[in-house]
Amino acid sequence: MFRLKRMFPAVVLALAASLMAQDKEQGTLINEAMIYVSPDTSSAHLARATRGRDVPLVMDRTTISNQVWAHVLVVVDVDLDRETSRQVTGWVPSNMVVSNATRNGDQIIFGEATDSENQAEQRGGRKGAAQDAMRLYYRLYEYFPNSPLAGEALWRSADIRWQLEKSDVMARPVSQEMRPDMRDGMDEEFMKLVIKKFPRTKWADLASFDLIDNKLCGSWKGEPRCPEKESEIYEKYAREHPDSPKAAEALFNAAWRQAVLVDMLKAGEHDKSEKARKKSMELAQEIVSRFPEGDWKPRALELIFALQQGIATYDVENKKPIS
Amino acid sequence: MVKGRRQNLWCILLLLAAALGFAADSQRATVIRDAGLYASAGSTAQKLAQVPRGSDLTVLEKSNANNQPWVKVSMAADQAQVSREVTGWLPAQALITAATPDGDQIIFGQAVDSERQAEERGGRKGAARDAMRLYGQVAELFPSSPQAAEAMWRSADIRWQLAKGDLLRSGTPMQETYLQAVITRFPQSKQAELAAYDLLEGKLCSEWRGLAECPQKETALYEQYAKDHPQSPKAPEALYNAAWRQAALTDMYRIDGDPAKSDTARKKATALAQQIGTQYPQSDFKLRALDLIYKLEKKIPVYGPAIE
Repeated sequence: MFRLKRMFPAVVLALAASLMAQDKEQGTLINEAMIYVSPDTSSAHLARATRGRDVPLVMDRTTISNQVWAHVLVVVDVDLDRETSRQVTGWVPSNMVVSNATRNGDQIIFGEATDSENQAEQRGGRKGAAQDAMRLYYRLYEYFPNSPLAGEALWRSADIRWQLEKSDVMARPVSQEMRPDMRDGMDEEFMKLVIKKFPRTKWADLASFDLIDNKLCGSWKGEPRCPEKESEIYEKYAREHPDSPKAAEALFNAAWRQAVLVDMLKAGEHDKSEKARKKSMELAQEIVSRFPEGDWKPRALELIFALQQGIATYDVENKKPIS
Repeated sequence: MVKGRRQNLWCILLLLAAALGFAADSQRATVIRDAGLYASAGSTAQKLAQVPRGSDLTVLEKSNANNQPWVKVSMAADQAQVSREVTGWLPAQALITAATPDGDQIIFGQAVDSERQAEERGGRKGAARDAMRLYGQVAELFPSSPQAAEAMWRSADIRWQLAKGDLLRSGTPMQETYLQAVITRFPQSKQAELAAYDLLEGKLCSEWRGLAECPQKETALYEQYAKDHPQSPKAPEALYNAAWRQAALTDMYRIDGDPAKSDTARKKATALAQQIGTQYPQSDFKLRALDLIYKLEKKIPVYGPAIE
């Protein structure tokens, strides 16, 4: 009884906070914008905010000279290299803010995020466009959790973050270490969030596939245990996620690693090499029969042909795959 | 007299038959791995050249050396980086001819692999050109293959993208021949529509320099494409490009102090963006169009300085 009494105020507070959060107008910026001290472009600048920045609170709106301004709390960068940020309170043209009160706000943010992603892929595209896309997709999930686009948005955000981090990690010399635990992997937090929030969806399947990157060897250095282990991981993925858009790729990766083992083991362990050849053929055949559409079937047929003709996949002497 | 002419005709026919027989013996082929070209069968012989993947080869003779099949080939002189006709021997392991079972798919598979290599950081040097040649060989060696149209289009597209890079670097003009060939050989196909879309790039301004003429002309090009190819996978993108250019014109005319023209462009941009939503509701471009409509409604500029 006493425990219940003590818990009651805490529950009430939590409920109130949750209700307040639901009532609050929150959103993001869909264009780069200057934050002003007052609702006037001639007033002092407080900060510059890029697309997708978090606007945890829209406090007020006012119209001055036919322009609507929003008084917002916005999170801006302090040091891009150190990834530090701070909260600023100021005024921004209201049209730049898409909030949970904006009609079709989720779709508008998704559209802007796609546009930024497209910019990031273009030669000479906008600087920082990938990070813009990553933030915009995340805001959609954060402020429109019930949107039909929320799962895909969270996945796309997590994937962009993953790819950016992977590019950093792989550029470090330590990334060439054979054992994956010898290097700092990519942060798994957001991928795991996708799996937790949207279980048994295509997005969870894709997140699980990305997570495999952290389990792969940096380089094989001619050691069979790496491709053996990796083949197992990919095959396990394909069995556990048969409907994933990545299932065929996972099976191909498993088959290709077995083909590598054929060459690695050929000199000393003929039986094991032959076993790997059979396994590789089986996996490749499975792709041919299970995935008749798309590019994985011809790739699997090419692998089968290479195995039949004795075309090497791994350069044993130089300890590297033959690309 | 008549008998004499008939004898001559027979001689010509015999010669023709012999020539045809020789042509049938000398098969066209390609390789799916880089291979060395040797003076004679066997890897201890003098190496004459390197044969890259997807090379256009003519098989002249077959032999065995060191328990391995070898073929004597001649490489077409008109290939990139090969300025003369070269004849020599190479191991037959990676050789694909029209008689190889699933040959079309095997070449296609290696082309996909090469294309992927080209996209990867630190991928194999020259992989994009390998992919371009390999896809080209699918259509050449297996003209009736179900993969032929897709392969020919991919080959032409890679060539186009590489030429685009050359144009930016050295001003070398882009050749439309290969994309036009896709349209001619596979008219009304998805691949022909994609080729027609690529060809629009050759008609775009290299720089707008703030002049309305360019986005006006480009809008018309993209709109016309969407009208002519409503089933194309690129139709929603073409409509979006047209709408975006009208949105840019809205800003250009506003900056120039012409509100009437600015408003006309805004209405046109909105109409085109709305068309994407109704005509292609499943496309990613529907959401990009909604974002554009929002920006037009709220007067958020899409052209000009990032922050006004």
